[in-house]
Amino acid sequence: MKISLNWLKQYVNIDNIPLNEMLNKLTLSGLEIEDVNDESAKLNNIVVGFVKEKKKHPNADKLSLCVVSIGDEDFQVVCGAPNVEAGQKVIFAKIGAVIPHGNFTIAKAKIRGVESFGMLCSESELELSDDHSGIKILDPVLKEGTQVSEALGLNDVLLEIGITPNRPDALSHYGIARDISAIYNLELKYPAFNLIESNQQISKLARIEIEDTLNCPRYSSRVVIDVKIKESPFWLKESLRKIGLRPINNVVDVTNFVMHELGQPLHAFDLDRLAGKKIVVKSTEAESTFKTLDSKNRKLSPGTLMICDAEKPVAIAGVMGGENSEVSDKTQNILIESAYFNPSSIRKTSKYLGLGTDASYRFERGTDPHGTMLAANRAAQLIAELGEGKIAAGVIDVYPAKINDKKITLRIGRIEKILGYQVPEDQILQILQKLGIKVQSSNKSELQLSVPPFRPDLEREIDIIEEVARIYGYDNIPTVEKIYSTLAKKYDESAFIDELKSTAVSLGFYEMINNPLQSVTSASLMGNKIALLNPQSQDMAYLRTSLISGALEVVSRNIKHGERNLTLFEIGNVFNKNNSEAINSFNDFAEKTKLILVITGNQSEKEWNNPQIPFDFYSLKGLVNSFNSKFLLDNVLNDSYYFTQNRIFDYSFEKITGNDIIGFGGKVSQQVLKQFDINQDVFCFEYDLHSLQAVLPSGKRHYKDLLKFPKVLRDFAFIFDKSVTYSEVIEYISKTSSGLLKSVKIFDLFENESLGTNKKSMAFALEFYDNDKTLTEEEIDKEFNKLIVSVSNNFNAKLRGN
Amino acid sequence: MNLDQITSVSGEFDKDLSSVIVLKELEELRIKYLSRNGIVSGLFEKLKDVPKEEKPAVGNKLNALRNYITENFNLAKIKLEEKGSAGKQSIDLTLPGTQRQIGSKHILTQTVDEIKSIFKGMGFSTFEGPELESDYYNFEALNFAPDHPARDMQDTFFISKDFLLRTHTSPVQVRVMKNYKPPIRAIMPGRVYRSEAVNARSYCMFHQVEGLVIDTDITFAELKGTLVFFAKQFYGNDLKYRFRASFFPFTEPSAEMDITCYICGGKGCKICKYTGWLEILGCGMVDPNVLINCGIDPEKYTGYAFGMGIERTAMLKYNVQDIRLFFENDFRFLKQF
Repeated sequence: MKISLNWLKQYVNIDNIPLNEMLNKLTLSGLEIEDVNDESAKLNNIVVGFVKEKKKHPNADKLSLCVVSIGDEDFQVVCGAPNVEAGQKVIFAKIGAVIPHGNFTIAKAKIRGVESFGMLCSESELELSDDHSGIKILDPVLKEGTQVSEALGLNDVLLEIGITPNRPDALSHYGIARDISAIYNLELKYPAFNLIESNQQISKLARIEIEDTLNCPRYSSRVVIDVKIKESPFWLKESLRKIGLRPINNVVDVTNFVMHELGQPLHAFDLDRLAGKKIVVKSTEAESTFKTLDSKNRKLSPGTLMICDAEKPVAIAGVMGGENSEVSDKTQNILIESAYFNPSSIRKTSKYLGLGTDASYRFERGTDPHGTMLAANRAAQLIAELGEGKIAAGVIDVYPAKINDKKITLRIGRIEKILGYQVPEDQILQILQKLGIKVQSSNKSELQLSVPPFRPDLEREIDIIEEVARIYGYDNIPTVEKIYSTLAKKYDESAFIDELKSTAVSLGFYEMINNPLQSVTSASLMGNKIALLNPQSQDMAYLRTSLISGALEVVSRNIKHGERNLTLFEIGNVFNKNNSEAINSFNDFAEKTKLILVITGNQSEKEWNNPQIPFDFYSLKGLVNSFNSKFLLDNVLNDSYYFTQNRIFDYSFEKITGNDIIGFGGKVSQQVLKQFDINQDVFCFEYDLHSLQAVLPSGKRHYKDLLKFPKVLRDFAFIFDKSVTYSEVIEYISKTSSGLLKSVKIFDLFENESLGTNKKSMAFALEFYDNDKTLTEEEIDKEFNKLIVSVSNNFNAKLRGN
Repeated sequence: MNLDQITSVSGEFDKDLSSVIVLKELEELRIKYLSRNGIVSGLFEKLKDVPKEEKPAVGNKLNALRNYITENFNLAKIKLEEKGSAGKQSIDLTLPGTQRQIGSKHILTQTVDEIKSIFKGMGFSTFEGPELESDYYNFEALNFAPDHPARDMQDTFFISKDFLLRTHTSPVQVRVMKNYKPPIRAIMPGRVYRSEAVNARSYCMFHQVEGLVIDTDITFAELKGTLVFFAKQFYGNDLKYRFRASFFPFTEPSAEMDITCYICGGKGCKICKYTGWLEILGCGMVDPNVLINCGIDPEKYTGYAFGMGIERTAMLKYNVQDIRLFFENDFRFLKQF
């Protein structure tokens, strides 16, 4: 919100406070100063000038030759404005001045052969308005030589203040002044104004009825008659310009001025355009449309609070007036609306219409129900004064159910309980009083408070404690010097994920973090996707159903940047609908945490001492098994293999235990790669972390005795039929051997015509040992030979080297 | 033969030795000086021709020369053998070694880890919760009234009328308070979503670490102490800080904590918008309504909560100018951290 410092000074005397200190204190108290714009520096060397003489320019018909005095010095100035006359007070830009419009510097000039020492300025040249019809004529009482910024009140500092949504009371100059008065213990004053009523009784001119008293608890009004609609005076236009509003006419400008002065939004109706000279406040019952004063047709939902006349709606209450009752140049009689509306009703309407105005912004946060009459009076007085109108005698103030101050008990000791510091009681009382909170009674330990409704955020004791703390200053509350902990049980729900991440990193993977919001194509790769109701864009309209699509997008982007060798992982949540289409409970969807490992390109590039090694299916499998090994899952999980293509993979495998799939992965299919515009093989594996965690061996890790006896190694190689798989042989050997065989590894595999058609050779390294004794040669030979016979017979295989 | 001649042999040996690079050359040197037909033997041969009165001095000098050459030869031999018995010709040690790829955690994870470790050190537990939340946990239980403009502070992605992508990690606070009894001392790291325009400074999702402490006698003064402790650990011991009044529906009183801008040292710069201060976190005393909603008696227990954005912290700390870099996962970016 924009605040003018000069305007603020009407309500609190801050002349003796250094500006920066005050702004800092306001920020600390919760009114955050977001921007400061010091206007006074802008108009250096531009002063009030007195036109002593005016002659025709000798060489140009349309130019004048003036002598301008600034008191102690006279200047010859060539002026092109049609309205310049001797005896005027004008704005004189001296040599060296910078003209705001166009940002140019005044220099000595020769115009049609005559020297000119400065320039007389229009409003538009100083960016005070768009008026460039002639130079600006100043009030004759202004003293020549005075800086124009001072003479016209342009020596202002404009503030941008961030107001949090709990503080509607601070959405006005008077409201900001109130906080300053509390911070500095200064008097808050509202300038008295003289309201002169005419003989015309308001009750003869207009009537007001409230039908929906829930949403309109109070409607106050004044009527001003015989008003001349015209341009506002300079001071009013300037006040509005400074806070970023465009002046329109004297009536509209006054309503805006009073809103920014007191925080009460007002609306001015052309009384003669109200059928039956009557206002009825009621909510709509059916859908309807209404043309607002910006000439737009608005579709209204049932239950929209409307201001109506005897026949038709004339304004959307609290949001925007209608074109049909707007003040125009021909308007003579004005009805001023100053109402209090139910905040949630205005918010609903404003949200529904997608239409936020300065008025709705204040109403939906909560205005002051006690302040409506003051604002109406103030506006009536100004409209009458500026429009030469007459204020009808009396007011109409429909206020069916009075809104009272709130009664709150403040226990003095509670302040220390919450803050850890006892603010002195005299300070507490002073702060409350300056904030407009009345102490109704008190005893040693408690204050009975009466809190006015302009502070809707103050409802409970804790709210009062916050007020005391923020005005007293958070920095004045001591910071404890010692931190203590508790002996309560500690939990770490992220420990498992932390360990997974460390393991992935130790295997050479880099972590990615992808956006879970995806396009329909990416989210449709698998699963049952969930759509956002209000997406920002089509690219981010669905929640991811797996980590695969996001990973493939990253692979694709990186390859385009020339990064072809990638080892990436991500841990993140994926989202799938369960059976039901609608999501009404946590049972209607599943959010699961997944881990994905992705590899593509080469695991090592060609080097002087190593060949290039591309990633393949077995690299993926090896990495997955290294992972499992780290978590002691070697003997817990089984593999299932799929040799045929599915939607995602050309071929793939799953890690399973019982019926549970812990993870799955494989070689991404060409079709999917094409969809992501990737032209090299990609292998990936996705774990479900909940399932993974469930199968982790429970309990603590125990040390196992180190082997004290020697290991004995033996090799054998067989020629098998080509259809025999590695895992069949390994499983058979493990099953057949006694406990002495502790490990079998394949170390060679080849196929060759020389072996026979459809044959292959597999060679295995076997490791024998006994934990309790040294094995003898005989024991091992017996076991080894037995295995040779069994394998030969079982697979119809031929031992090689025989 | 005289003493000068012996000295010049010593000098010649020094010169020869200095040019030796490999063992083979050293062996040539041995043959030249120390073999049966070498220079030193030759000199001893000539000793018989030296006049009698000079013999002891020349003999001593010759012995010294032989010892000198032998010692230096042996030293040089040891040095060359250490260098590699085969010498420089057969192995090029300057060829590049075979490097292994070391992976890394995402810079946002590293930032969260650093924050977590500081709070772990102060005895905080760590809790996590779902990203797809109900309106109840994300807003209602946290004292956001249904039609209050406070809801506009967090632009929300909805899935259905009552379900949404959480806009902060505060719903985890609610879950923790409902599931565990005080004393509670916990942080909740996690991902949150807001419907904000995607540009260099903002993204539609980001990460937070929130904290919650509930016990008897927890005060605002202690909140300040804990957060100052954290800030000093994370940003450095010499920082200046301030607490500003602010508003969050779930805390009362509420504050924001600023530290001196460490880009400009408080003088004012583009990063701190010429204020000299950087906002690092929001905090406050847990609102009694929130405690009541979670079944905790606000008369008996008080508590504080705080929350900070990770992306902003990492951007400042690592001078990352565009938030989108965090989520593009360009390998060249990932490998920098």
